[in-house]
Parts: sequence; C-alpha cells; structure tokens
Amino acid sequence: MHATLVEPFSVPFMARALTELLLLAVLAGVVSTHVLTRRLGFVADAMTHTVFPGIVLGFLSAGVDGVLPGALAAAAVTAILLTLLTRSRRVTDDTALAVLLAAMFAVGVVLVSRRASYTADLTSFLFGRLLTVTAGQIAQTAVVAGLVLTTLAVLHKELLLRAFDPRAAAAMGYRIWLLDLVLNLAVALVVVAAAQSVGTILVIALLVVPAATGRLVSDRIAPITLAGVAVAALSGYLGLAISYRASVSHGLRLAGGATVVLTMVAVYLLTLLAAGLARALRSRRTSDAVA
Amino acid sequence: MRWLDVAFDRALLESVLVGSVCGLIGVQVVLRRQAFFTMAMTHATFPGVVIAAVLGVNLYLGGAVAGVLAALAVTVLSRRRGHDASMATAVALAAGFSLGVALLSTQNGFTRNLTAYLTGSILTVGEQDLVVAAAVTAGVALVLAAVHKELLYTAFDHHGARAAGYRTGAMDLLVLLLIEAVVVTSVPAVGTILTLALVVAPAGAARLWTDRVAGMTAFAVAVAVSSAVGGLYLSRAFDVAAGGAISLVAAACFALSTIVAPRQGLIARAAHRRRRRTPPATEPGRAAPGEPVPATGS
Repeated sequence: MHATLVEPFSVPFMARALTELLLLAVLAGVVSTHVLTRRLGFVADAMTHTVFPGIVLGFLSAGVDGVLPGALAAAAVTAILLTLLTRSRRVTDDTALAVLLAAMFAVGVVLVSRRASYTADLTSFLFGRLLTVTAGQIAQTAVVAGLVLTTLAVLHKELLLRAFDPRAAAAMGYRIWLLDLVLNLAVALVVVAAAQSVGTILVIALLVVPAATGRLVSDRIAPITLAGVAVAALSGYLGLAISYRASVSHGLRLAGGATVVLTMVAVYLLTLLAAGLARALRSRRTSDAVA
Repeated sequence: MRWLDVAFDRALLESVLVGSVCGLIGVQVVLRRQAFFTMAMTHATFPGVVIAAVLGVNLYLGGAVAGVLAALAVTVLSRRRGHDASMATAVALAAGFSLGVALLSTQNGFTRNLTAYLTGSILTVGEQDLVVAAAVTAGVALVLAAVHKELLYTAFDHHGARAAGYRTGAMDLLVLLLIEAVVVTSVPAVGTILTLALVVAPAGAARLWTDRVAGMTAFAVAVAVSSAVGGLYLSRAFDVAAGGAISLVAAACFALSTIVAPRQGLIARAAHRRRRRTPPATEPGRAAPGEPVPATGS
C-alpha cells in the first residue's frame, strides 16, 4: 500500500505533478460550482478548444515562453466573444458556440499543420505533459489560482444572485453582462492554467465533474464546492499514483492526465451509486414508518 | 473505376458524401439545439474506435457501440434531480474522451492515430469508407424523409405532439441515434472537429436565410457540400490540414450569413432599427403603422 500511495511521490517530477494537480483541484472545485449553477458546460467545453490557437500562435512566435501570453490573449478574446454571443438571443446560443469552437480550433490545427513536427506538437498541445511540469509553471498556476479565487470570493453573492434570479439582479442594478464576463474570464483562466499540465481537452473534466459529484451529495453551495475540491484532489492523487504504478511495475503506459480524469469519473459514478442506494433506503424507511 | 484510384478523387467523393449527410442531420441538430450533444458524441465514440482498433474488429462497429452507450448515459444522467442535460453531456464527453486517450496511450503509435482522429485524414479514405458513407447518407435521408412530419411536430411542440398521441420519447431517441450514425460515419474519415463544423455551421447559416424547413435543408446541404469541396481545394493549394480548412470555410459561411442574411442578419437588423427610429411622416399624436403600441398594465 505504501509502495503504491506514498513512494511514487518521492521522485521530484511526481511531486511537482502532484503539487500542480492539488492547486488545480482547489481552483476546479470552486469554478466548477459556478459552471454548474450557470449551466456553462458547453461554454467551458468551447473555451478549452478556443484557447488552442492562442497556444499555437504563442509557441510559433516566441517558443515555450510565448505559450502563456498566447493562451491568455486567446482566452480573453473568447471570453468577450462568448459574453457577446450569449447576450444576443437571435442565433441560438449553442449553434453559435459550436461554430466558434470549431472555427477557432480549426485555426489552431491549420497553423500547426504547417509545421514539420505536426503530430507530436499537436498532441502535446492537446494533452499537456503532466510529468514535465516545472517549478515556474507551478508558480504561474498558483498566481492564477490566487487571482481567480479572490475575484470569485469577492463577487460570490452577486454571481449567485445572477445565477438563480437574473431578473432580480438586473432590477437591483447589477450589470449582468459584467458578471458574465468575469465568470467567463475565470473559466478561461482555469483553462489556461491547466492547459500545459493536463492539456486543453481534458480540462473540461476538471470544470464539470467535481461540482457534478458535489451536487449528488448536497443541495447547498458550500458543501458542493468543498466536495468538489475534495473529489478533484483525491482523484489527482490517486490517478497519478495509478498511472505511475501501472507503468513502473506492470509495464503498462497510461497517460497521466487521462488516468486522473478516469479516476474522477469513477469517483463520480461511485457517488452516483451510493446516492441512489441511500435514497432507496430512506424511502423504504419512510414507507415503513407510514405503514 | 479508374479515377477512384487517385487519393484526391476519393477525398473529393468522401467530402461530397459527408457534406450531404452532415447538412441533412444538421437541420435537426440546430432546430433541436443538440450542438453540444453532437460535440459530446464526437468525443464519446472515441474509446469504442480505439478498442475496435486494438481488437481488430470493424472501427465503425466499435464507434457505434460506444456511441449508443454514451447516448444512454446522457439520457439516464440528465433525468437526475439537479443534473441538467448539459452537465450530463459534459460528463459523458469527458469520460469517453479520457477513456479513449488512456486506452490509446497504452498502445504504440499514440500520437499519429490520435491526430488523425481529431483532425481527420480525408486524403487517406479507402473504398470501404466511401461505401459506408454512401450507405449511411442514403439511410439517413430515407429515415428523415419518412418521418419528417413527426420530427417537426416533436421539435416545435413537444407537449402538443405528446398530447396528439405521438411517441415523443421514441422520436427524441431516433434523432439521437441518427446524429450518432452520422458522427460514427464521419469521424473516422474526417475527424471530430470537422464533423462538428460541418453539422452545425451550414444548418445554422441556413436557419438565418429561411424559415422553411425544406428550404433550410436544401440550403444546409448545399453549403455543407460546397464547404467540404472548397476546403479540400484550399487545403491542397495552401498545404494546410484538410479538416481545418474545411471547418474554416463552413464557419466563414456561417459568419457571413450572420452579417448579410435578410431580416436576421446584422445589416438588415441595423437598417430595420434605423427605420423605426426616424420619425414617421404622419401627423403628430398618431402612432405610425408598425410602431410598437406602448404596453399598458403588467
């Protein structure tokens, strides 16, 4: 047990990967709660794809150092475009979102396809390299986490009001579009922070599954968020350990990011099952009491 | 057939077939707001394709089985209290895709296969792909033609259709399965992103030009086929990825439509607003025809 759960993290690169994942877990637990209450699943998914061309452009123009600025620029552009798109109700949101997603992603693909090392580049852009996370990247993630968590904490009440009663929020004088923009920017920042470690595509799991699991055990915001953070942290830890054990002891190469997400989905499914059982037991007990 | 021996000709035929079937199903996707579901299907069929490749069975079969499972998962999860369809869809997407990536990472040749899956490699389609695409195009067209009245009724008036005795649940499931069939056919040949672009963008553009479903369908198929063919030629001319070029052409058609389409386009709406703002040439005190009547009460 010790060999599986503790030993892997004595290796420096595994310890760095774990630190990065734990930081992301706190971030994902909080932001995914907002994604849940505002039903931003598709927006989050679109964001993970639209950041991609920014990463490519940044990399093409300035090498590895250009990735973060490029991703940030693309994230800001998308957050603004998405806010505008969801404001006007003419074209249905999801159609416009889907076209934006496909178009921005295609720009990234077209840019990458001009390079000689096409497939290797594309893969690392999309799936990140969890095990090569540097101390610098961890510091970047920590800064992003601090910024996003502070903003969301300050605006907590306003964002909740906007999620559950947008009309009341508008009547009380809050600028809905500004709140939407702040939340979209927060989601975009999480995508940027996680893009290099778990990759742009698997970020969608971090932005949805933690709060979805929390929602299974509670109706209240604070417990949902706490459960989300716990689920994300636990699966980050277990997923890394499993992936390490599989490749070291069993010669089975399992991609780190994907294993973390699969663990998270497994935790979600187990919670789903447990919640279903608990509800069945409770209804049995009430019907017994009535009889 | 002599000309089918050339890779580019096969790609051309494939793009026409995939364009037609994507345009056809796109109308249903746009009218029923299933764009996110389509996106999820393109990712959730992935593990099925990988498993089929590892076991050496037919790729389409693997994708189809995984797709049915994902559709069922979305249906079941979205019924839970506190879970809406978009969250169930996102969970299915993340689960399916990460399962595919994890499975693929255990194999050799990880990166090459994955790239082909995501961005497509339309220039390597074989004759089997063409036969499958032709069969699915014909099948989807037939089914849509056979039940098009029922589909319309359930899309626009779900409660009314149920009250009139139609089996709305069966109709919804039928549409999901048709979307899945299109995704399973298109993705191995042309990639996930391109499939999404070709399904949603042409139909979304068509929706801006017309209010009639027949016209919308014809328009969507025309836009989808010409984007596919045009993108293919562009990709050859500029030496870029075919999937990316085709997606960009389709998205450009949509963007152009949001600007110039009659009545719904940005220009038409700006002109309309200007007309309303200029003072009408009637005597003061009387509302001009077409002027909104001030709401009283409520």
